[in-house]
Amino acid sequence: MSWDFLLAQFGAQFGLWWVIWPAILLGIVVGVLPGFSPQNTLIMLLPLTLAVPVEQAMAFMIALYCANHLAGGIPAILVKIPGSGGAAATTLDGYPMTQKGQAQQALVLCFTASVFGGLITTVATLALLPWLSQIGLHLRSVEMVVVMLFGLTLIAVIAAKDTLKALIAGFFGLLIGVIGTDHIYNTPRATFGFLELYDGVPLVPALIGLFAISEALVMIEEKMIVGQSGRERALQARWADTVEGLRLSVRKWWHIVWTSFVGLFIGIVPGAGASIAAFVAYQQSRLWSKHPELYGTGIPEGVIAPEAANNGVTSGTLVPTLALGVPGGSTAAVMMIVLQYHGMVMGPRLFATNPEVAYGVFVSMAVAYIFMIFTILPLARYMSRVVLIETTYLAPVIILVTIVAAFGERQYLFDMVLALVFGVIGYIAHKTSYHVTAILIGILLGPLFEQYLVRALRISQGDITVLFSSTLGNVLWGFLVLSLAAPFLKSYFSRSSRPQP
Amino acid sequence: MNSPRGADLVIPALALGFALYFFFSIADLAWEAKANGVLIGGVLVVLIGIQLIRTAVELARGKASFSLKPLWEPREAFVRRVGLVAVTIAFIGTLGWLGLTLGLLLALFAALWIMGARGKALAIIPLAVAAAAYLLFVALLQSDIPHGPIERLLS
Repeated sequence: MSWDFLLAQFGAQFGLWWVIWPAILLGIVVGVLPGFSPQNTLIMLLPLTLAVPVEQAMAFMIALYCANHLAGGIPAILVKIPGSGGAAATTLDGYPMTQKGQAQQALVLCFTASVFGGLITTVATLALLPWLSQIGLHLRSVEMVVVMLFGLTLIAVIAAKDTLKALIAGFFGLLIGVIGTDHIYNTPRATFGFLELYDGVPLVPALIGLFAISEALVMIEEKMIVGQSGRERALQARWADTVEGLRLSVRKWWHIVWTSFVGLFIGIVPGAGASIAAFVAYQQSRLWSKHPELYGTGIPEGVIAPEAANNGVTSGTLVPTLALGVPGGSTAAVMMIVLQYHGMVMGPRLFATNPEVAYGVFVSMAVAYIFMIFTILPLARYMSRVVLIETTYLAPVIILVTIVAAFGERQYLFDMVLALVFGVIGYIAHKTSYHVTAILIGILLGPLFEQYLVRALRISQGDITVLFSSTLGNVLWGFLVLSLAAPFLKSYFSRSSRPQP
Repeated sequence: MNSPRGADLVIPALALGFALYFFFSIADLAWEAKANGVLIGGVLVVLIGIQLIRTAVELARGKASFSLKPLWEPREAFVRRVGLVAVTIAFIGTLGWLGLTLGLLLALFAALWIMGARGKALAIIPLAVAAAAYLLFVALLQSDIPHGPIERLLS
């Protein structure tokens, strides 16, 4: 791959601005709405993408996919409703920033972390593609069990405030996540007799109920979602706040870089996704922070980490798709269908036979991110005004629109009822200080954890020592132990280095 | 003043009920199907047990009560909250007959009225949201959401 080839690719992709811009706008609209995943939108638009030349189809799909990942953070920050599972971790610090009257800064942090996180990992993927494509081959069920545990330890992080309540919430979520048929015999478990639960608890209704509906039911106790001081600050929102957000992003550039790489590596693993990447990045960010106690109170790092990671996933998820022919996620699977329809054969040969498509996909992604930052950054100031709408109007709209959105993913009326049930559970959890994020982490990671664990145990015929049988797995175990021990080690060393009176 | 611990037990009670149902539903399954559930459910039951003991100790010391107060206070907001949930249930229940656009229009009108909205907002917001929902879910994305008189009229 020469520089001339790359430059020509960049030129060609910039020429597709008329495809990329509408896709970005559609991706943002769809991303803001919980329940509308990029893969569903792409499936609906399949007749269009199959009809146009492959370069235009890929540019459209890639731009929509990346914009969708970015936009999920917008409602997560403004009204504590993650647009997708990947933005759930963004609510932890994004919404507290909004409540402090810093919605505009939080949005800018979200946009810059998403765009630059996505851009950096895309460039890294272009440069390291042959090596990165091998990573997926080394990460098997044994290693993935440890990766899942990295995400699950966030429950313990949340547990810092009330350990017992957070653990009950987390394990309740994990048990809810086990609902559905098992991975070996397909026998139903705890489905209450509903066929709609045989595939497990769908993520979107759970997300909508636990976050959107429960939050709307709580917010009606106040006139607005921001306090008096935050209200005054939001009323005076100026361009200077956008600039302040940019300045914060520049100051935290290293944070954007390393958390986006967390997303890249997790994205490479087929089946793992933006949600896991965001939770793991948030957990690692808090773990290695000098002030972990401030996480959850509305700090920039708490917005940057999940947003950079969930956009880092976008390039990672395409690596196994193009290099190995194994889709890294459901959106990548739709893209693969389009590529195959146009006669492309996935796998290592694609880079030799159709380099303009194989590398062009990543160039297209980089170009989409460049367009995106100029499109969305000026909007932060206007978006932040949402917090000034009175809850009298906001709560009914949130509840009814998100209930409709719950229908979107699987097109079942049952999912709307499910969202309401989760809304009531979330409301009770809110009012009694059981963390809804801990419940969601359980629901999200529980099924994946079980899938990898049972697969590993099945291979070893029930021998649990299989979890310590691979070198890479053992290295990851080491990192996990180190991660868990780090807070204690840090406090021990800081105590011993303090001068004695 | 005694702290109202009754509300704190609602989530554990739900979790315990669900865990017992889960154990019942997997009793006859192969080990691969129940290993994870037994492990998670077992830990959950132990954690709930600890929470119950903690609450019992506080009750015995006279530091806590069984009150569910935090769940319905402030009372004024609770009435509106129950109203919103009731409207949502009615919306889902009648969606098959009314369709998305009309159902959403009427449900939003009712929900806003319950919340105390009056005047122009009571007409403009439901109309605008219902129109936007029609455009996005029916016209643009062509989802399978139930169609009613308005959708049939416009199709």
